[in-house]
Amino acid sequence: MPILEVSRVTKRYPGVTALDDVSISFEKGEIHALMGENGAGKSTLIKIIAGAEASDGGEIIIEGESHRGMTPLDAKRAGVSVIYQELNLVPSLSVAENLFIGKKVGGSFIGPDFKEMRRRAAQVMRDLGSNIKPETLVFELSTSQQQLVEIGKAIVDNCKVLIMDEPSAAIAVAEVENMFRIVRELRDKGVTVVYISHRIDEVFSLCDRVSILRDGRYITTERLRDIDRRGLIRHMVGRELSETFPERRSRMGEIALEVISLTGNGDFDMDLTVRKGEVLGLAGLVGAGRTELAKMICGDVKPVSGEIRAKGKSRRFGCVSDALNIGVGLIPEDRKSEGLFMDFAVDWNIPSMSFKRLSRFGVVNQKKVEALTDQYVDALRIKTPSTRQVVRNLSGGNQQKVVVARALAAEADILIFDEPTRGIDVGAKQEIYRLMNRLAETGNAIIMITSDMEELLGMSDRIAVMYEGRKTGELAREAFSQDRILELASGYSV
Amino acid sequence: MRKSIDFCQKNLALVLLIFAGALFSATTANFLTVTNALNILNQNAYTIIAMCGIALIMIGGDLDMSVGYHMSICGVLCAMLLTRTGIPVPVIVAVTILTSVALAMLTTFLTQLLGIPRIFVTIGEATLFQGFAYVITNSKTISNLPIAFKNIAQGTLLHPSLTYATLLMAAFVVIMSFVLSRTYFGRQVFSMGGNLTAARLAGINVMKMKYIIGALVGFFLGVAAVILIGRTGAAAANTAAGVEINILTGILLGGVSIRGGEGKISNCVAGILLVALISNGMQLAGWNPYFQYIAKGVIMLCVLGFDMFQMRRRSVMNNRRKEEAVLTARQEA
Repeated sequence: MPILEVSRVTKRYPGVTALDDVSISFEKGEIHALMGENGAGKSTLIKIIAGAEASDGGEIIIEGESHRGMTPLDAKRAGVSVIYQELNLVPSLSVAENLFIGKKVGGSFIGPDFKEMRRRAAQVMRDLGSNIKPETLVFELSTSQQQLVEIGKAIVDNCKVLIMDEPSAAIAVAEVENMFRIVRELRDKGVTVVYISHRIDEVFSLCDRVSILRDGRYITTERLRDIDRRGLIRHMVGRELSETFPERRSRMGEIALEVISLTGNGDFDMDLTVRKGEVLGLAGLVGAGRTELAKMICGDVKPVSGEIRAKGKSRRFGCVSDALNIGVGLIPEDRKSEGLFMDFAVDWNIPSMSFKRLSRFGVVNQKKVEALTDQYVDALRIKTPSTRQVVRNLSGGNQQKVVVARALAAEADILIFDEPTRGIDVGAKQEIYRLMNRLAETGNAIIMITSDMEELLGMSDRIAVMYEGRKTGELAREAFSQDRILELASGYSV
Repeated sequence: MRKSIDFCQKNLALVLLIFAGALFSATTANFLTVTNALNILNQNAYTIIAMCGIALIMIGGDLDMSVGYHMSICGVLCAMLLTRTGIPVPVIVAVTILTSVALAMLTTFLTQLLGIPRIFVTIGEATLFQGFAYVITNSKTISNLPIAFKNIAQGTLLHPSLTYATLLMAAFVVIMSFVLSRTYFGRQVFSMGGNLTAARLAGINVMKMKYIIGALVGFFLGVAAVILIGRTGAAAANTAAGVEINILTGILLGGVSIRGGEGKISNCVAGILLVALISNGMQLAGWNPYFQYIAKGVIMLCVLGFDMFQMRRRSVMNNRRKEEAVLTARQEA
């Protein structure tokens, strides 16, 4: 008997059917991947399993017992725990308090027995192979440590089914292995893990079976040892992808940007060069100081010492517009909070770095604004009903294109892409890769910061690796190897 | 139908203003006359001038709660210079406005120095200014301002009720509407209110802009203070106390979001006039004057609630539209 069964579940939102008659069964003690492009219905499905949303039809069967109109509390009592991408911990409380939140731990009517709580919390964390002290406050922890606390919470809740929504998205490569180890241990103890991820490699190395959703419909469930990458991708997108990484034919030109022993913003003695037509990959763990470096190069943060040379001259950027004037543009990491005006239209966002150039005597020329917007909507194939559409309404991939368009419209030709494909689906990723290739081929210099190993290896001409604010190595294309990058990124060679 | 509902929602203050105007015309004799309309504009000229500055701040994503005592202290200073020194009137007016600009820029400096939002700095300053205003006036009213000064606000043109104050207000409203909707400067202000980080990364010198906005706010508040004491002919420490609530209510009624990044000056004017009309109407109806505070409080809460409701509704509608967009994109593919 499956431990969890989703039976003929349908969920309609006004105007769209998010889940259409979906049935999947999950066995006891397996790691079961749930995959599909953005908008395939994965999130809706886990919300329904967790009782956070009500389905319009069908039922959730947990250990043979049918549940309808389940609330989150019902789901928890039945043994279902969910770790969402946005972690649900109380930052100002300790690890122990978070682990036992909402639970009675000994004590009297006055309050819980904190000593007992700490003892038990220490035990839970030790079992997870972590030495986090139970009295540590959660906001002091790194994202991956917080994730461990979430897993600990699920264990305290005695969960039988643990649903993890993209757990590797926010944590660094080296920390992912540790998380895998814990997930495997949980499985060996008989817990069923439902693992949602966009990363195909990860699913192959971790999971036992995979279920695929597409456009709100259930496609198939396969054993991972019976299927290959191609097959998996075909099921997800419903078509064959020619290659994961399109080939690029670019000629490298002169040096476009040179960073010489740049220090500041947490980075030390950084040396980098990138040529016209080149894609320089910047690898490192989360917190290695890559984004910090990007912020210095694009003029947002002033370096303490060192030199930035762009297009043959030494430059001092007082603010972002100084860098833009030279042609250095940043496509920031978090498009929603740093790149876009979410409630403004496409025809505001795309020219938002160029308004000055589009005005005369301080008056904005609306015709030029429209023309520029149209030009980039066409060039980047941004799918939007009209340029008046508010950016919030676009899909993640199209939003990302708008952020890129904004830098291109400002005539930037030294481009820093910080996590260019985070949180967008397979099809949109391909488009971004092709766009980056086209940019490199036409002589733009690109620095790409990415935590996605496949992307790093597939897109870069050269890779520089950072660890704790310093460059630990640089690899030419021939020398690319995952192991070597991981080594450099974890500081072994320092 | 849908279009007109849309229009009403976007220009709520204007629609309500027309409605309230119609109501008063029907119930009060002599309401719908040119003279009365001009009188109402004249009485509210200083609020609307101050509003031009505060709307700028709010669209840029900040809030200012020191408006009342900021204006009071400028007014008191101006009145003291006028009555106790022989400095020519134009110089005193200039000094008053420059002082106001300096005070508002000091606010910006403090937000930067202390690293706290403008709303909190100005709450602190409001009390500070209040104290200074009472101390320097010894809590006495300064009256007998020279005619030449009072003329700045009270002088008329073409029509006996069309004052310079009203004309000045109209000019500022037109200029600010243009600046906000059509200029590079306006785009920068909206960008900052829409997403401060994205604005900074788009190359907007956010700090510089905050000083410029601060200076402009100071300018408008200074002019407003001059107009106010010119019209009433007297100044006291509490001359403009509480004005910020009228302005804030009017601006919110006018569709400026409390989170910044949206708004139209013309609607804010309608909002201010609506607030004024309501308190005026209540006076005419002979209600206890303190009822108007209750009414303003209720309106303020309703408007804030409506702002939040709009935001939530928008995100729901956005999700729906997004889903539709995903579907059409799929069908195309």
